[in-house]
Amino acid sequence: MAGKQKILKGSIVFILLLSLLIQAGCAFKDIDKRVFVLGFGIDPSEQVRNGFRVTLKLAKQVGDIKQSTSPPYLYISHDAESVAEAIHEMETRVDKVLDFGHSKIIVMHKELLTKDLDTFMDFFTRRGDIQMISYVAVADKTAEEIISFEPTTEAPASIALYNYFDNTGTESPFVVTTFLFEFRREVLGEGHDTIMPIIGTDEENHDFVIDKSIVLKRGAPPVELTPEETKYFNSLMNKAYGFSYKIKEDGLIMVLNFDEIRMSYKILLNDGDPRIDMKITKVGVVGESNKRLNSKQIEKYNKIAGKEIGKTVTDLLIKLQENDVNPFGFGLRYRATRLSKKGIMEEWKRIYPDIKFNVKVNIELKSTGAVE
Amino acid sequence: MTEKQAPPLFDELATIFKPSSDIVQTPLQLKDHRAFLFYVKSVVDGDKLQQTVIRPFFEMGSEEDFASYIQSLPNRTDIPDKDKLLIKLSSGLVLIAIGDSTFLLDVRIVKNNEIQETVMEPTIHGPQKGLSEDIETTINLIRQRYHNSSLKVEEIPKNDISNRAIVLLYDNDRIDPRILKKIKAELEGITNALFESAEDLQHFLNRSKLTLFPTTMVTERPDRIVYNLVAGKVIIAIDGSPNVIVAPIIFFDFMSSMEDNYHVSVITGFTILLRYLGLFTCILLPSLYIAMTSYNPEILRIELALTVAGSRIGVPYPSFIEVIFMLFFMELLTEASMRLPKAVSGTATTVGGLILGTAATEAALTSTIMVIIISAVAISTFVIPINEMSFAVRVVRFLLIIYTSLFGLVGLLLGFMGFIMFLANKDSLGEPYLRIPWKGKNAELGMDNK
Repeated sequence: MAGKQKILKGSIVFILLLSLLIQAGCAFKDIDKRVFVLGFGIDPSEQVRNGFRVTLKLAKQVGDIKQSTSPPYLYISHDAESVAEAIHEMETRVDKVLDFGHSKIIVMHKELLTKDLDTFMDFFTRRGDIQMISYVAVADKTAEEIISFEPTTEAPASIALYNYFDNTGTESPFVVTTFLFEFRREVLGEGHDTIMPIIGTDEENHDFVIDKSIVLKRGAPPVELTPEETKYFNSLMNKAYGFSYKIKEDGLIMVLNFDEIRMSYKILLNDGDPRIDMKITKVGVVGESNKRLNSKQIEKYNKIAGKEIGKTVTDLLIKLQENDVNPFGFGLRYRATRLSKKGIMEEWKRIYPDIKFNVKVNIELKSTGAVE
Repeated sequence: MTEKQAPPLFDELATIFKPSSDIVQTPLQLKDHRAFLFYVKSVVDGDKLQQTVIRPFFEMGSEEDFASYIQSLPNRTDIPDKDKLLIKLSSGLVLIAIGDSTFLLDVRIVKNNEIQETVMEPTIHGPQKGLSEDIETTINLIRQRYHNSSLKVEEIPKNDISNRAIVLLYDNDRIDPRILKKIKAELEGITNALFESAEDLQHFLNRSKLTLFPTTMVTERPDRIVYNLVAGKVIIAIDGSPNVIVAPIIFFDFMSSMEDNYHVSVITGFTILLRYLGLFTCILLPSLYIAMTSYNPEILRIELALTVAGSRIGVPYPSFIEVIFMLFFMELLTEASMRLPKAVSGTATTVGGLILGTAATEAALTSTIMVIIISAVAISTFVIPINEMSFAVRVVRFLLIIYTSLFGLVGLLLGFMGFIMFLANKDSLGEPYLRIPWKGKNAELGMDNK
């Protein structure tokens, strides 16, 4: 009898405890009480001296996403002396909790690149709920304009800017992708400079244009790369495919598409002048031609393309060298492959401006693309 | 010629059985031959009695001849002590007194010996008939599938009120004697007054009062019984129940269907994979929904997070109330359709389906995604082949929901780990409950030693 009573008492206590469940825990926040921050835009503030203007892109909750016509986003901006302050003050302007768990892009104004970068970027790396795989980009205009820009192709509940960078949407070689962790590592580390995409909009304000990039070295003016240079850089560093090259010769116009790109380089200091031997192999097919092609002449096309591409790559390398930036990470390679000693980076900084580039391009066209 | 009286034993028995009206105490008399019969009419086969006892009596020349005839009948049994004798008489044996000697004949009639269809574990391939409610028929069915002298059929004396036969069946060559000893001790230790069925007996075999996971299995399939006999397990049959108990059983036995043996390997592999995915789905999905919507929405894809958030607009209660509410209705529905007579259960499911389906969403009581989750959970619960395990899983699900609504994703992980640890700690008559069957099927059946 006593045992039964004990069980009865136990179960009553258990049921009473269960009713406590209705008082949800403090970390418990239903998804409809959260508002997802999808992106940050950071501009220099016009109202606060030395301050920032932070713009947040928020996802509005729509009952039926398939039926809704307009992209369900809203934007709020705030000026404050620091990013963290701005965000804390913005929390008073929305009725729901700001959830940073889904924010994946940080757009900053170009002017901010010359400022003390690590202080304002510190906020993003310190907060646990902002993912280190967020994309970092530079705005062509103001960050506010870019982050609040809604291209015509943007569908509800799908964020156009993410699609550019995560390789699930477009895979254009003109788009370089930089993650927050890379950005932090490269800005604070030595020997490898950050390259970031520049996000602009087209003239009619319909769509994004992301084809340029900017190379950033801490304490030096940033170097902008043209779309063409961005493409070359991206294809070499990130093996971005979709790289195409146009040959024009004797009325023959031919577009080559490369789908496999390999690049390797060596830093040679003891073999004559200090130089970097770069070997590039590109494998591809003929994508378009205005004349009938002869498969025996493939070698010839290979050579023409190889020579042209080699020259463009050398030009890019020299431009980067002249501006004393190095997104290829030559410095890091030098540091990693030499015996560690004091002043090794100073040594590299002395070597880099005078180093010679020896680019060898090997083009391998698989066929003319025609059945004979 | 003196009038022979019925032996005193008969009168004594008659007073014990009074006032039952189906008692027959009758003398047979031909000239000076006499014999006395005592039996319970309702459990004795009258025709057989007439054929084998009454008719020969009148054909035989003397009492001695008749006595030796009865003596040589195959259904004659020895007379036990008085208590046992009462039990035997009430189960359909006939007591015959000829002169000074008494005999006990088995002429019982069993009405419930038809072979049942398999209801609990139906399969497409394999045997379609199950066992019988009559233990003799059940043993017959098993013996007919297992012609081997090492198959032992051992009756366990049990003093519950109904005095029904409990029989152990095992293959003497394959069984681990320690397990047999344990099961016997276990059975002897049961002091319950009444067993209604094999399931009832099973509860007492599971030892601890508060158990969720059974350590023995109730089955109705003769093929499963034979499979387990070969694997060295003990079958416990109880008279009056169309199911038998298999012991000892571990977790993974509950996840196997006999049909696994009847398909080609890839199909079997696929169905087993489906089954385990179903198991994890029905345990984890409701809790995962709570964890993802209320604690860690960042683990969802952004598109899904927005859809979930959108579909929750207007839902008045927090996610776990939503889940418990929907699960509660689903459980009610399952329970109702199981218990109701077949004529009504169709209505119950239709009405219930309406509530759980669109109506609940349209009334903004739950989100649309919740409805999908609940149906997925309901379906995957039924994928578990043995009914007892799917009951257990249904309870585990609620425990995990409590953990998750208190501690989020971490709580779900901890709760699930606790569940695994609980299973790993459990044992089934000395066998680890969560023992992973690294051994192949042949090794398990002990075939590779030969």
